[in-house]
Amino acid sequence: MTTATLVLTRVRIRGRLGLVLRVVLVLAALALVAYPLFYGGDVWAQRISRAAIYAVIGLSINTLTGHAGQISLGHQAFVGIGAFSAAFMASQLAAPLGFGLAAAALAGTVTALLVGMVALRVTGLYLTLVTLAFGLTAETTIFNWREFTGGGAGAFAPRPALVETDFAYAVLCLGVLALVLYVDWRLVSTKTGRALAAVRNNEDIAATLGVNVTGYKLGAFCFSGLVAGLAGGLFAYWNQVVQALDFEFQVALVWVLMTVVGGLRSRLGVIIASSFFALLPLTLPNFLSGLPWQPPFLNEAVYHVLPPFIVVVMLLLVLRFFPGGIGQLLAPVTRRGGPKGAKR
Amino acid sequence: MKRTGRHLLKADGLGLRFGGLQVLDELSLTVPEGRIVGLIGPNGAGKTSCFNCLTGIYRPQRGRVSFDGRDVSRLPTHRRARLGMTRTWQNLGVIDSLTVTENVMLAQHQRAGYGALAGILGMAGTWHRERELRRDAAEILDYFGLADVAGERVAELPYGTRKTCDMAMALASDPKLLLLDEPASGLSPEEALGLADTLRELRDRLRLTILMIEHHVPLVAEVCDYVYVLNFGRLLTEGGPEEIQRHPDVIAAYLGDGHATA
Repeated sequence: MTTATLVLTRVRIRGRLGLVLRVVLVLAALALVAYPLFYGGDVWAQRISRAAIYAVIGLSINTLTGHAGQISLGHQAFVGIGAFSAAFMASQLAAPLGFGLAAAALAGTVTALLVGMVALRVTGLYLTLVTLAFGLTAETTIFNWREFTGGGAGAFAPRPALVETDFAYAVLCLGVLALVLYVDWRLVSTKTGRALAAVRNNEDIAATLGVNVTGYKLGAFCFSGLVAGLAGGLFAYWNQVVQALDFEFQVALVWVLMTVVGGLRSRLGVIIASSFFALLPLTLPNFLSGLPWQPPFLNEAVYHVLPPFIVVVMLLLVLRFFPGGIGQLLAPVTRRGGPKGAKR
Repeated sequence: MKRTGRHLLKADGLGLRFGGLQVLDELSLTVPEGRIVGLIGPNGAGKTSCFNCLTGIYRPQRGRVSFDGRDVSRLPTHRRARLGMTRTWQNLGVIDSLTVTENVMLAQHQRAGYGALAGILGMAGTWHRERELRRDAAEILDYFGLADVAGERVAELPYGTRKTCDMAMALASDPKLLLLDEPASGLSPEEALGLADTLRELRDRLRLTILMIEHHVPLVAEVCDYVYVLNFGRLLTEGGPEEIQRHPDVIAAYLGDGHATA
């Protein structure tokens, strides 16, 4: 495995140059967001909101899978329950946006707590199956509960005046993303991050060091559920209508894959991959069908099924060539310490 | 050996069974405060299982464990650890994905002095405590000669350094009792004897109590105040190291066909 990318990740850029590179990278990322946000009109403001929401979901999965080493294939249920809770608050109770988002976060947390208490009695493959079963069950039960979700027509979540414009809403989404990023940063920098690293490496060792393994795993589940629910709430007000088919199993799979492609435990990597996967279905079909030359047998309908295919190809590339994901490619710039790529 | 000192750790009639396999049977042992006690026996005798019962990773079907004057039989592992029971592992208890400093700070988990929630919310006190923990960790690393590799990931270090890091972690957790699982494995004979000095220093200067599993007979003879011999999950015999080495049952069971190597 001596590809150019791998060699690149072994380079360590130290000291002042490293700091400058990091600052440049962050500024470039901000510029990449700011330019379309200010000059791209409503279309791009909506897209940026969607990218930010996906990034929040990616960070939610990163907490559970990246930090705590647990897997969830039922994340669409946490996000969906958050979205429907927010919509319920907005349309049925006419509650302000803050209450809607709080309800979404709370609903996500409580659901994750309940699932976690059951799911964490099993590990590995069985945990995956339990979360998968939970997600599918939630789809057919909770999401079809007419009074809560509005049935097939969906539940409406009108935006309040303050964030009615797409620009203001994008700023709100970016603000929430910044908050989640801050918490993730503090998590990694304090005893919580170290304890979770121990839990994901070896639960027995963690326990003998005084770490309450069950507590931390459940805590990670709850926190992941909270962030996922919050993302669901943001989604509800973003789309202004929430339907069960927004939260089918396929999206949960894409979310897990985008987090892996981004690189577990790499904040920047997860954001980049999440944004990419959020925007791909919106931009790629239009872009391809707008090209002057169209290959035979291909048309716009085919272009719409391309994104999932691209996701899978990217996953294979990542697993084969840089298992640390996009975060591994960024490692020479973002990592302060050792010379090697993001390995476990 | 005098057995009148206060008992820091006491196991009473431990019985552990996995299906049809009786791993431990009526095992009782005591570790007096401020002593180094050895636990020896052939492979498969149940030594590591015994450690797992003492630390609460296994729940024995029978028997009790008391630590520091209190019955801990029903306490989960992390609660026993918080009472001051620290163990090392045969294949090292370091966390590969963390740096050496972070590993030592992980070992200080129980005395971080702030809650997990306060930490992730970035509450004011946690920043200060993190700096203090980092400073403490740096001191410990200095003592163990690990300062040069403090920022390296443990996965990238050679075995000997990882082993030293493991020991640094054991001490960073501020233990009353150290349970060492084969501390000399992977060390050269000279290094093993160097370890003897370290262990004695821990006992005499830091007033630590140590229970250790060890195969390296010269080390056991050198540092242990008292030795328990385990065979097929039962206590074969116990006594001072000199006595044990001459004991015919021990020679037969442990040292093979009568050639005492020490």
